[in-house]
Amino acid sequence: MRRGWQVGCVCLLGVFAGALITSLSYSLSDNLGPGPGFFPFWLSVTGLALTGAILVQVTSGRLLADAPSDLWPGRQAALQGLAVIVALAAAAVLLEPLGFRLTLLPFVAGLLVALGARSWIAIALCAVGGSFGVFHVFYYWLMVPLPIGAFGI
Amino acid sequence: MDTLQHLTDGLVAALGWQNLVFALIGCVLGTLIGVLPGLGPAAGTAILIPLTFRLDPTGGLIMLSAIYYGAMYGGTITSVLINVPGEAASVVTCFDGYQMARQGRGGTALGIAAIGSFVGGMVATLALVVVAPPLARVALSFGPPEFFALMLVGLGLVTSLAGRSLLAGLAMAVLGLLIAMVGIDPVRGAPRFTFGIPSLYDGLGFIPVVMGLFGVAEILLTLESPTRQLVATKFTALLPSREEWRRSVGAISRGTGIGFVLGLIPGIGAIIPTFTAYVVEKRLSKTPEKFGQGAIEGVAAPETANNAYANAAMIPLLTLGIPSSPTIAVLMGAFIINGLTPGPFLFQERPDLVWTVIASFFLGNALLLILNLPLVGLWARLLHLPHQYVSVGTLLFCVLGAYSLQQNVFDIAVMIVCGIIGYGMRKIDLPIAPLVLGLILGPFIEKSLRTSLEMSGGDFSIFFTRPLCVALLVIGALILVASALRLAPAEVREARDAN
Repeated sequence: MRRGWQVGCVCLLGVFAGALITSLSYSLSDNLGPGPGFFPFWLSVTGLALTGAILVQVTSGRLLADAPSDLWPGRQAALQGLAVIVALAAAAVLLEPLGFRLTLLPFVAGLLVALGARSWIAIALCAVGGSFGVFHVFYYWLMVPLPIGAFGI
Repeated sequence: MDTLQHLTDGLVAALGWQNLVFALIGCVLGTLIGVLPGLGPAAGTAILIPLTFRLDPTGGLIMLSAIYYGAMYGGTITSVLINVPGEAASVVTCFDGYQMARQGRGGTALGIAAIGSFVGGMVATLALVVVAPPLARVALSFGPPEFFALMLVGLGLVTSLAGRSLLAGLAMAVLGLLIAMVGIDPVRGAPRFTFGIPSLYDGLGFIPVVMGLFGVAEILLTLESPTRQLVATKFTALLPSREEWRRSVGAISRGTGIGFVLGLIPGIGAIIPTFTAYVVEKRLSKTPEKFGQGAIEGVAAPETANNAYANAAMIPLLTLGIPSSPTIAVLMGAFIINGLTPGPFLFQERPDLVWTVIASFFLGNALLLILNLPLVGLWARLLHLPHQYVSVGTLLFCVLGAYSLQQNVFDIAVMIVCGIIGYGMRKIDLPIAPLVLGLILGPFIEKSLRTSLEMSGGDFSIFFTRPLCVALLVIGALILVASALRLAPAEVREARDAN
């Protein structure tokens, strides 16, 4: 876990440093008082100081001395997690060109298979219900605008 | 008199068939969220926000509030039947609830939890009715400096109670505040951290961020430990015996008091009231050795405290605009999506809405009791649902919710990134609550800070010359110092103890 915190701190330092540099391009004050850069600047400075202090504590062993060391998921969980991220990313890319129904149909079916479902009837029912059924409820009944793709579906 | 009139009007409006249906749907969905593994109340409430997009604000908020306290109760079912708390507040219920289920008294455990939750929720809502209007009137006299100090206190409380390191909590709160800066500057109208991306001009959507941090992250974590052991229990005897009633009455009364009082303090979270109620009962019990072995007081007290807390935690939100927990922050987000800013002005500007929502708490609590006693068996059967279906259903609603907020796929991308970040944070035990609270309070904190400084011509002494503001800042500082001492590294604690 200590390594995880160190990596996390380095990432945070990067975020705060980037925010600090960016905030310098906004005015810190103007004739009405504090400018748009005032709050982000001081937040970035504070964030950098806090994260630096945490990194020192973690590296010197004053924090997380009793924390578990192994945090990595098993192979199967890692692959399934990857499948979830890939499926979500694919949904984000295809949602508007293909429409909600045609995107979510393979999204639900594929993810169910990837996560270990084996009943094809249940998978098919969930995929149809999760795409066409959910679309019908939200689009027609709840009137939530959802994308209709190039094929008119 | 005014309050009574408003409450009566609110009750009449809440009893309208549409609002009753919204409360009923909310209670059912909330309990479902609580029951289904891998879905906490914050994520569950967030992913169901799209359901309310086309409702009028009152109906939408009634449904979301019902989802919130329904989820708080639903977590109990998994605690009792599979020894897995549906949400953090139900951890304590596992101790005795699961033991009761193993002894074949699972029905009684769930029954007393439902009754305790009902009593705690009703009393806390009644107290809300009494406390909220005067508190809102006091808050109306606050100027921007006082609001700035108040929000710092709220954020400080949440931060100080989160996680294993105060510094980490503070860093997460600062990160949340910084993320809230993305978009158009609310005071001058200048774009910040937008990098020429039009989708960032409106800022990072609170809902996609929360769905990622809680929903997607929880699913990723669930994949690592998907198996559960369900205890077979009978639901024939839901009501406690005469002796069990006798032992539960005191526990329910004390749980109500503890939950309500602690619910008034922003940042306490639901775990502390439930643990406090449990410890108090154990201390007061003549048979403390029975706690952890299936003592009914060990279920009645924390469950009552949990629901009393859940209802009382609405007071800081409705009167001061301060969310006490990530779930309440999601509710605050729902208010904002509907063009309403929770806080004292809401009582002035939309008393009809506020009082209808408050009145709906009474109905929601009653509906939960009516629903949950006879439906306990059905909820238990849902626990047999394979995790794949729950996970995919959750992800489906995450995609739907993130997209439908602004009809923008960019929000789905934000959700995915936040999901990965949330997963990483949960794995290494970095606190998420301060980040979420910082994110939702960020615009308000910045606006009150900058308005205060504009009032004083850039002079920071404005925060130290107004007595109430000074008092609030001192309280905030004391909280952080107390927390720093509590969470100090081991060698500092040892040196302190030695002295």
